[in-house]
Amino acid sequence: MKNIIEILKGIINIIKQLLKDPIGRIGFIGVFIIVLLSIFAPKIAPYDITEMFTKSKLVSPNGEFIFGTDNFGRDVFSRIIYGAKVSLQVGIISVGISATFGYIFGIVAGYFEGVVDSIIMRFMDVLFAFPSILLALFIVSVLGPSLGNTMIAIGIVNTPVFTRTVRASVISVKSMEYITSAKSIGLKPINIILKHITPNILAPFTVQATLALSGAILTEASLSFLGLGIQPPDPSWGSMLSESRKYMERAPWLAIAPAVFIICTILSFNILGDSLRDVLDPKLKL
Amino acid sequence: MNKRILSIALLIVLVMMVFTACGGNNNSEQTPVSGQEQTAPDSQEKPKEAPPQVLKYGTDAEPVGLDPHTISAVASVRIFRQIYNTLIDVDDNMNFIPELAESWEQPDDLTYIFKLRQGVKFHNGREMKADDVKYSFERILNPETAALGKSYYDSVSTIEVVDDYTVKFVLKEPFAPFMTNLTSLYGAIVPKEVVEENTNLMQVACGTGPFILKEWVPDNKVILTKNPDYFVETEPKLDSIEYYVMTDESSRIAALRTGNVHLIKLPASSISLVEGNDDITIMDYQSNDYLFLGFNLDLDKFKDVRVRQAISYAVNRQEIIDLVYDGEATIAGFVPPAMGRWSMDFANEDLYQQNIEKAKQLMSDAGYPDGFETTIAVGLLDDIRGAGEILQKQLEQIGINATIQNLESGQYIDAWKNRTHEMMAGRNGAGTDPNRSVAFFYSTKGSANVWGYSNPDVDALCDKGKVTVNEDEREKVYKEAQKLVLNDCPNIWMASPMDYYFVRTEMKNYKPTTFNIENFNQVTIE
Amino acid sequence: MRSYIIRRILMLIPVLIGISLCIFLIMQLIPGDVISGLLGIEENPELRAQYVIKFGLDQPLPKRYIDWITNVLKGDFGTSFRTDKEIFPEMMSRFKITFQLTIMAAMISWIIAIPLGIISALKRNTWVDAVVRFIALLGVSVPNFAFATLLILFLSLKFQYYPPVGYVGFFENAKVNLQIMILPAIVLGTIMSGSVMRMTRSSVLEVLRQDFIKTIRAKGASERVVIFVHALRNGLIPIITLIGMQIGGLLGGTVITEQIFSIPGLGQMVLTAINQRDYPVVQGCILFIAFIYVMVNLIVDILYTYVDPRITYK
Repeated sequence: MKNIIEILKGIINIIKQLLKDPIGRIGFIGVFIIVLLSIFAPKIAPYDITEMFTKSKLVSPNGEFIFGTDNFGRDVFSRIIYGAKVSLQVGIISVGISATFGYIFGIVAGYFEGVVDSIIMRFMDVLFAFPSILLALFIVSVLGPSLGNTMIAIGIVNTPVFTRTVRASVISVKSMEYITSAKSIGLKPINIILKHITPNILAPFTVQATLALSGAILTEASLSFLGLGIQPPDPSWGSMLSESRKYMERAPWLAIAPAVFIICTILSFNILGDSLRDVLDPKLKL
Repeated sequence: MNKRILSIALLIVLVMMVFTACGGNNNSEQTPVSGQEQTAPDSQEKPKEAPPQVLKYGTDAEPVGLDPHTISAVASVRIFRQIYNTLIDVDDNMNFIPELAESWEQPDDLTYIFKLRQGVKFHNGREMKADDVKYSFERILNPETAALGKSYYDSVSTIEVVDDYTVKFVLKEPFAPFMTNLTSLYGAIVPKEVVEENTNLMQVACGTGPFILKEWVPDNKVILTKNPDYFVETEPKLDSIEYYVMTDESSRIAALRTGNVHLIKLPASSISLVEGNDDITIMDYQSNDYLFLGFNLDLDKFKDVRVRQAISYAVNRQEIIDLVYDGEATIAGFVPPAMGRWSMDFANEDLYQQNIEKAKQLMSDAGYPDGFETTIAVGLLDDIRGAGEILQKQLEQIGINATIQNLESGQYIDAWKNRTHEMMAGRNGAGTDPNRSVAFFYSTKGSANVWGYSNPDVDALCDKGKVTVNEDEREKVYKEAQKLVLNDCPNIWMASPMDYYFVRTEMKNYKPTTFNIENFNQVTIE
Repeated sequence: MRSYIIRRILMLIPVLIGISLCIFLIMQLIPGDVISGLLGIEENPELRAQYVIKFGLDQPLPKRYIDWITNVLKGDFGTSFRTDKEIFPEMMSRFKITFQLTIMAAMISWIIAIPLGIISALKRNTWVDAVVRFIALLGVSVPNFAFATLLILFLSLKFQYYPPVGYVGFFENAKVNLQIMILPAIVLGTIMSGSVMRMTRSSVLEVLRQDFIKTIRAKGASERVVIFVHALRNGLIPIITLIGMQIGGLLGGTVITEQIFSIPGLGQMVLTAINQRDYPVVQGCILFIAFIYVMVNLIVDILYTYVDPRITYK
């Protein structure tokens, strides 16, 4: 109980520091808004996302359809709002996948070193050496395009980065005195990892996760561009944007809305990650 | 100190890498200097005299190879159709017209005698003679060639060279589509020595056509030059055709708008982008394709004809045409209107009228009063994807909840071949002969019958149509077959779209038609 | 040092074997094979059988892998199933194009990012810093296909401009070549400049707070000397790493940009081959890209040890 209060206090402290930085404030607020949008999407969206108003296709933004309608007469605003949910879902779950695997592999490799380390890290090198968009493309091709498989693919692609981050932190933490002493009094490795090492690598880990989130949303957009993203009728900003390219001149609002939302979302996460790094990374504290 | 030197050294190395990277280019590819001037945009400065007679065509895909006997990819066909000729061709009213054969006669149902045009030369300068016709068809029929059109000519039993300019085909049994099949590029006439020298015709090309292959730079361009010895003396007017691979649609439009290319092919949805632009004309023609929704008849729910009919009643075809093709398509069955006399009018059939009540009734009769869950697999093309989303919405009305699976082309073909789909939306080409449109897709043994559809009556009609040489009787046979297949609904057919070429006004005398889409023989550039 | 390099090179062997095995297996698992892609709707069992033999797909999997990899080791990447062309020369000519694009893009990113990064670090926690950081982050947040399309659209509508069609090599015609390459390079470079800026900023910051800078300052050296001579030189170290990453990463990362601008580079070649399921081409190209990537990383790591004495290796 006490621990939880401590952690909460820590988080509030971090947020306070974040808000001091004007840029950090923008990022924090941006992310906050996107999270709100995706949670309340069904309440906010005025129309069903698949409803086709066949009489009013490619209508420009007006009072009825505030972001206009697409080539099938669907309300762009509603689709954008639902898109926030989809994008966030892709971001969080895929980062969750890579963070989990990255954490396990990184801890194991960093803590035990030796042969285990070599095997894990060589495997990560293999994944890393694949061009990431092509690796994602391959995985989606093999598994078949769907929301779940897109998340798995992006998750796998990002795993090596997390593994490396965690491993590097583990190695630097491990040589610290209190860990050596913990070992010498006979603490089990699992306890050392959980109680002593994990809290110490949380900072770089969080930064990495925030940045990976924006990367994941971007990768989804690229996959959608190549025709292998999320499947309709789920609206994904990436696929909305890539489909809208055909109507850029006739119906620019089709492109503008998802482009603005993608850019703002990624930007918010990037800013948040960047500011978090400043706050959490003690090396940079002058 | 040391560090500084190293940093500088690194920069120098990097800069050197840039130069070596660029410098490497000139030893591998050598384009003649004359080629470059045409590539540079030279339209603005000089006052116009006679513009170079060079047609620039912005294409969407890289050709995969140029062997007319083994390649059917659109990106390849568009190029080798300028290089090779067939014995005969077909005009827009589906009448046969001379090409390499000047005239022909058919003494009986089994024998076809072709008189060849004299003085026709291959691009290597040698005259084309009856031996080449015999060789070409022997190559197609040889299983080792793995020619795509082998089944087109399988009925041939002997090919006899009567004299240098006369060749006689004898069939094993009467085969009504034989003449139509001769118009296909699968039956292009190729020179023996070129095939033997190169083992195949994938990378080289030597035909009798109006243009000669000059250069092919992968993922970049293909350049064809005029054949000065073309057998129609006044053709072609152009000096060369340059095909540029531009995969991205918006790039193609931009390049057309600025005049960097003269010709591109685009779907209906792009028309509004160039409307009002005086430099660009849109040329349309009725395609020979149709949009379909196919069922996997191995599955219990689709085995019941009532379910399939219910789906046909649930679909609003006009809505699909309006939303996907901006209204520019014709309601059609699987022998679309472009097939002329062979096509049955489906639009007024009862199964083509949206009737939700009737559809619901059929669904509950079949035991699915609440509908079911299923999937629609769709191919990569925009119109198919669009149609998939609309179908999904329309089928909701009768309780069918379909998830859409966008398939990339390899997956699409896999699903097509292995029947791993539940429902599948796509676009098929009807060919030029009703035998292709009907038997190939809907007879029990048809190689494109991937649905598991089998109706002995349809099979019997297909067999009959194949050997019925009298056209009026043949028409009756295929119309009857269409009626039967329609009632069985192994597929739901929707529309036959228009296809579009966007053309710069500088390009004159070009008119695409269903059976003659890219004839550039009369084209000039002004 | 030498033993470190040798160890690193030895470590590359399992990595490259792993990559070749991975890509070989992926190609087997991907639905749709080269034959169905080739034959499309015309496929029938008889035709298929012909092609299975022609492409050697009737051989057992392990044998096909071993045959392929031994030939690759001999420098023979085989011929394309689809076009019958030899793969290696084709790959090399494509590589040159992508490499040129990569270098141009990297240079553009340095021109934009390094000055901005330095300014932002020096003016840390001021509005200048905030604006610069914001711009940099904006750069990394734009999907490249959106930027590319917008650029094409803008130029063609407002200025009636589209780069010349049909790629020409630099030494064939430098002017046309640069006209063709500059737009994609701008797109890639701008997007990359975000991370370069970030890296420059943090490395300059780190250097500035180090003791020796304080000493130099204390010695009375002017601020300009401090920045340009000492801080920047030391800040170069991580930038070298970054350049390595850029080159390695871009080689496979130019796929979409190449496609939009019709640049016949390596990315375009892989993408076409993936779509056509042209196994030997995909395998060869991916292995090649991965090879370049690990080599660049190796070189960077080795250079790093020379430049930065703080790093030692067992």
